Amino acid sequence: MHKFNIDFMGHRNIMFGISLVLLVVAIASLGLRGLQFGVEFKGGTVVAIADSGSVTQPQMTDAFKAAGLPNVVVQGSQAGVNAKAGFIIRSSETSAAAASAAADKAIKAVGLSASEKTVTTIGPNWGANVTSSALLALGVSILAILLYVSLRFEYKMSVTAVIALVHDIVITLGLYALIGWEVTPNVVAALLATLGYSLYDTIVVFHRIKENSQGLVKTSYMSMANESINEVLIRSINTTLTSLIPVVVLLLFGGSTLKDYALALTIGLTSGAYSSIGVAAPLFAMWKEREPKFAALAKKYANAS
Amino acid sequence: MDPKQRNYLLLALCAILVIGSWVMFMPPQLRIRQGLDIQGGLSVILQAKPSPGQSAQDITSGDMDKAELIINNRVNKLGASETSVQRQGGDALLVQLPGIKDQTAALKLIDTTGKLEFVDVSSLPSATIAAINAWQSNKSPGGSARPVIPADVVYKPVLRGDMITNATAGQSSGANAGQVTVTLTMNSQATDLWAKYTTANVGKQVAIVLDRVVQSAPAIQEPIVSGNTEISGSFTVDEANNLATVLQTGSLPVTLEAQDVRSVGPTLGQSSLIQGVYAALVGLLIVAIYLIVFYRGMGALSVIGLGVFASLFLGLLALLSAFGVFALSLPGIAGMVLTIGLAADSSILINERFREEIGMGKTVRSAAASGTKHAIITSADADIVTFVSALALFVFAIGPVKGFALTLMLGIVCDLVMMLLYSRPLIMILGETIIQKSPAVWGIPKQAVAARGVAAKKGGAANA
Repeated sequence: MHKFNIDFMGHRNIMFGISLVLLVVAIASLGLRGLQFGVEFKGGTVVAIADSGSVTQPQMTDAFKAAGLPNVVVQGSQAGVNAKAGFIIRSSETSAAAASAAADKAIKAVGLSASEKTVTTIGPNWGANVTSSALLALGVSILAILLYVSLRFEYKMSVTAVIALVHDIVITLGLYALIGWEVTPNVVAALLATLGYSLYDTIVVFHRIKENSQGLVKTSYMSMANESINEVLIRSINTTLTSLIPVVVLLLFGGSTLKDYALALTIGLTSGAYSSIGVAAPLFAMWKEREPKFAALAKKYANAS
Repeated sequence: MDPKQRNYLLLALCAILVIGSWVMFMPPQLRIRQGLDIQGGLSVILQAKPSPGQSAQDITSGDMDKAELIINNRVNKLGASETSVQRQGGDALLVQLPGIKDQTAALKLIDTTGKLEFVDVSSLPSATIAAINAWQSNKSPGGSARPVIPADVVYKPVLRGDMITNATAGQSSGANAGQVTVTLTMNSQATDLWAKYTTANVGKQVAIVLDRVVQSAPAIQEPIVSGNTEISGSFTVDEANNLATVLQTGSLPVTLEAQDVRSVGPTLGQSSLIQGVYAALVGLLIVAIYLIVFYRGMGALSVIGLGVFASLFLGLLALLSAFGVFALSLPGIAGMVLTIGLAADSSILINERFREEIGMGKTVRSAAASGTKHAIITSADADIVTFVSALALFVFAIGPVKGFALTLMLGIVCDLVMMLLYSRPLIMILGETIIQKSPAVWGIPKQAVAARGVAAKKGGAANA
């Protein structure tokens, strides 16, 4: 059988170290660079132009400024499968009629086809609605998941699973801050979906630990937990890979909306798979080992492992 | 019914569902409705704004029903097919106009409250009168900005728009031939009022005001007793048509503000769709190769399982499209791509568990029965957790992310159906026959099967 025998628990301090470094970098990025929120959260306009033709970025900037849009920022967007290089223009304009008319005017001025564009305008007060509803969705789903886990498993598992979840959220958002990608509602949705995944990876490990812990006498809790991780490792790697493959392909080939989802899903799935083994399981085992019954076992087999 | 019969029955049911799905979704580009972000068009969320002194709670359901009806009438006049107006929450409307060409004009039409008033110009503040006169002396169609009556000015209208019974755009004949006009007819009450007013005020200026914007400010030439009134402002043909539409459909009971407006060019959405489908197919292919390399025969069964899953999924989407309750959006495609991984996951759980139970000493036959059962329970746990997140997102989030949540949930349902109607019955049937005969082909190490006698004596029970 394909079976590993890796001493995860023995190296848990290394894994904690890696997580700590990642968390410090993530929190520093969040603190120093901050998150860039999309127009959906703060109001404003985004115009995406699919084919830049021979128009340069300064020309585009001038055209949109001349058309009367306030605070114009023009970015190039990369060519991809079935897609040419284009532009993404952001502005603080919150009137849809004004934004649409200005975009028509600017695109006409540089001689591009007006049909090859998308214009998204979000009103100034709508962003608050979007933000509160996204937070509500996030909060309710985390609570519901926790409730489910607490009912099915013991509370020490729920607590360590939550620590792993927070770990995943902070690292994902930290990366967004670091590379400066916009956080849109799509990113929040993708993050939420990966939380379920991440949590589930953790549950599978816990499930195995729980079963193997029944009638435990011949070894310490820690080494039993290590054995449990090794037992489910192949499954964990395979399910993570098969989930990651389509998402990474989407990241490589998808257009901007799809990329939004794909990046958050990629980071979330990776971090989630890692945190189950590197964070949740060792923390849980350490906590369990403090229970008198398992502390005695740990003492007994201290030299053996 | 014995288990064997039951398994054949389940497989037959699965086959019927798959065939039914293919009938439903072929050809997919026609059978699965595409969202606006893919087919192109204009999508607007209009939110009702409380009038000054009102709170959001004062907006009644009746107001919103009326607003929905009026907006519906207006968009119908645009002549686009498949337009839709839906309520979103307590105070918002989602307006969808697929394939609309002039998005700027469409936006103006639905964004207009449509409160038309005839106002005595002399009752307005002097600054506004000056602005009106300056504009009138310099007017050209679509030219300089129209004067706006400031929000803090209180005035008393002579006539209101709800007294208008019909409005048509046209061109005037006679002295101003060729000028674009809007002709109004009004109800009898208004006709009386208007006849009295125009008789008493010949020579005075009347401003025709739409949502506090002055459209035209003619002087009364003679008493109008018939009620038929011609407004010849500085309209372009489109503007006159829009105004006529707004007047015909009536003014909105609440002020609607366009809050989330997305317009998508027709070819742009299609190329996004192609990218998404391409990514999904490439992802599916790599996953299929991976499964076969890793699990051999069992992997091949999993790949067919993915085919079953995809068929059921597309069939379900086509079914929902047929009832008009589903349209595939880009976030929806992201959800579909994620569920490919989900379906592959459940196959892996089944394969791993099956292998493991054989490795721990069970016969192929009993491993097929208990392994699939345990794996499905584990998978269902995973599915429930993801489903809960998706449901929370679907219920509480606003905007396009709902599409992501919806396809994710539908994918989870198809995954469960695939496991129960395909994976488990098939593995149980094959487990009794060909898998047992040549385990290596199915990716099960021979020594595991050979060693089962020894392991069984040790009482090794598999647990996952």
